[in-house]
Amino acid sequence: MQIVVCLKQVPQVAELPWDPATGRLKRDLAEGMTDPAAKRALEAGLLLKAAGGGELIALTMGPPQAEEVLREAIALGADQGYLLCHPALAGADTLATSQALGAAIRHIAPKLGLILLGVASSDSETGHLGAQLAEELDLAAALNVEQWQLSPNALRVQRVSDGFLETLELDLPALLTISTQAPEPRDTPLGGLEDAFASGQITRLGPEEIGLDPARSGLAASGGRMLRVYSPAAQKKAVLMRGAVKKSVQELLARHGDRLGGIIGRDLGAAE
Amino acid sequence: MDFNPCSKHRLVRKTVREFAEAELGPIAAEIDRQGRFPAEVVEKMGPLHYFGLQAPRDLGGAGLDTISYAIVIEELSRVSAGLGLCVTVHNSVALYPLLRFGTPEQIKRLAPDLISGRRIGAFCLTEANAGSDASGVETLAVAQGDGYVINGTKIFVTNGGVCGLALIFAVTNPENPRQAASVLMVERERPGFSVGEIEELTGMRCNPVSSLFLEDCRVPAANLLGRPGQGLKIGLAALDTGRLGIAAQALGLAQAALESAVKYAKERQQFGKPIASFQTIQNYLADMATEVEASRLLLHRACAQKDAGQAFGAAAAMAKLYCSKVAREVTNLAVQIHGGCGYSQEYDVERYWREAKVTEIYEGTSEVQRMVIARDLLSRPV
Repeated sequence: MQIVVCLKQVPQVAELPWDPATGRLKRDLAEGMTDPAAKRALEAGLLLKAAGGGELIALTMGPPQAEEVLREAIALGADQGYLLCHPALAGADTLATSQALGAAIRHIAPKLGLILLGVASSDSETGHLGAQLAEELDLAAALNVEQWQLSPNALRVQRVSDGFLETLELDLPALLTISTQAPEPRDTPLGGLEDAFASGQITRLGPEEIGLDPARSGLAASGGRMLRVYSPAAQKKAVLMRGAVKKSVQELLARHGDRLGGIIGRDLGAAE
Repeated sequence: MDFNPCSKHRLVRKTVREFAEAELGPIAAEIDRQGRFPAEVVEKMGPLHYFGLQAPRDLGGAGLDTISYAIVIEELSRVSAGLGLCVTVHNSVALYPLLRFGTPEQIKRLAPDLISGRRIGAFCLTEANAGSDASGVETLAVAQGDGYVINGTKIFVTNGGVCGLALIFAVTNPENPRQAASVLMVERERPGFSVGEIEELTGMRCNPVSSLFLEDCRVPAANLLGRPGQGLKIGLAALDTGRLGIAAQALGLAQAALESAVKYAKERQQFGKPIASFQTIQNYLADMATEVEASRLLLHRACAQKDAGQAFGAAAAMAKLYCSKVAREVTNLAVQIHGGCGYSQEYDVERYWREAKVTEIYEGTSEVQRMVIARDLLSRPV
């Protein structure tokens, strides 16, 4: 069985400037890193591989430097990596990305058992890609999965949805997006990094190799347009309380009693 | 010549930074204050290959090149220089001499525990009457039967309190001053080996620096590293490598101090504006950044020379001399920029400042580095 983990390289900083004309992030201004949510998906893949064997394939789409996330995945235990990289793929929204990844997965994983993704990436946070990719490949999918159990032909998963704990069973091949409540990603061993650079197998693919119609790739195939991006204006407002301490405490409780009570786990209103 | 770090070096830096910030960041100030060795973090570092950074992959090490090694030590030291010290000393002056001068039997017997971090290594040259002058070593190892009996006291041993294997410099042949000393590898559990009080040092306080006592401590001849009388040769080779590590440690401290200073200068308001808007502070920051960059280039060049199999002793001495000087100056300016807060334990810069000083002292003082550099310079044909 082949398990494909879709990874994304995201900027390492919390906030990045964007190009006001296109609404797209200026990714070249920051160092890249593997998206934290995708790292959970990779961890899930590593655990599944350790439990049931199979081949773990890391796949990403991005500029040449996105190869780094594949090296990191190999350092952690992925068997090989594929970098989908071509100017024609640039500017893709999640729909065009799902079409490109779908074509790549058809090409690289003939014995596909499972596709894993993070629940939403830290830079754009749409959370669309998993569902769109499942649709593109016509696979059963479960999103925001916290736990899983794999039997030979089916996959049982758990997730919290609308406050309910759901248990679902999916036929294979299937697609999961992995919740941020799933097991913590492991640390990268330094020897793994050495191996990933010395002998890690990474293949670069373009639209032609994977048989992707140019009309279904990149900016041209993107249905969505970012109309406006802005930072919510944050305001720091300091409130100075004057007078007797008792009066200040009462005022503080009147203003923030609910939140303070929540933090210490007591109903402060009742105490009074 | 490519001055951009390659993809591997970028990823090594990112990996170690992430680990150090997550695991050591929250406790770095506390372990310094309490003088506590963070055994719980060290335990996690073993399987990640931090204790076999340049040991071959087939022995369970990371097999990294020397620039990667320097990056690892820099990034650990950027967060906790005391733990950076533990890792570099273990790798460079304990494990490295074993791998380079040890017999296949010794490597098979002793290296796996060092590489996995089950045993921490220590290097014991300094004594009450021997430091910069290695010929002053008084610890005596007398050949007896199939082994040696060692007597003596080592002081200021980095990792002393936690070491599982100590490389002891001892006189085996007092008649021949040029080949008087040998290196004996002593496991912690050997009768006659004991650890003294942990030193109350100014910095690097999470590292249990201590004295080690050898009282009629018997070791088999199989624990002699290299040949009898090769002590000085082994020591010098180990120190060349060790200096790269201490330079990297100093660089990590300087980098940390620079980052703190930039952050504080942007936050701190005086005269109605951030102090970063004042030219004096800008000049300080500009000089600090320039010196840190220059240090890194000098260090990485020395590392590249080692990897290329070239002589790197003088380059390592230059890197150590320069990085430690920069660490002292940059941490000093960082405290200055922080003003009164910089002199308080509430901020990390006072720790960086205390820790930077010793990088000019151990693994060869700055005066000794200059001797090494001058000797190399003057020995070249004109």
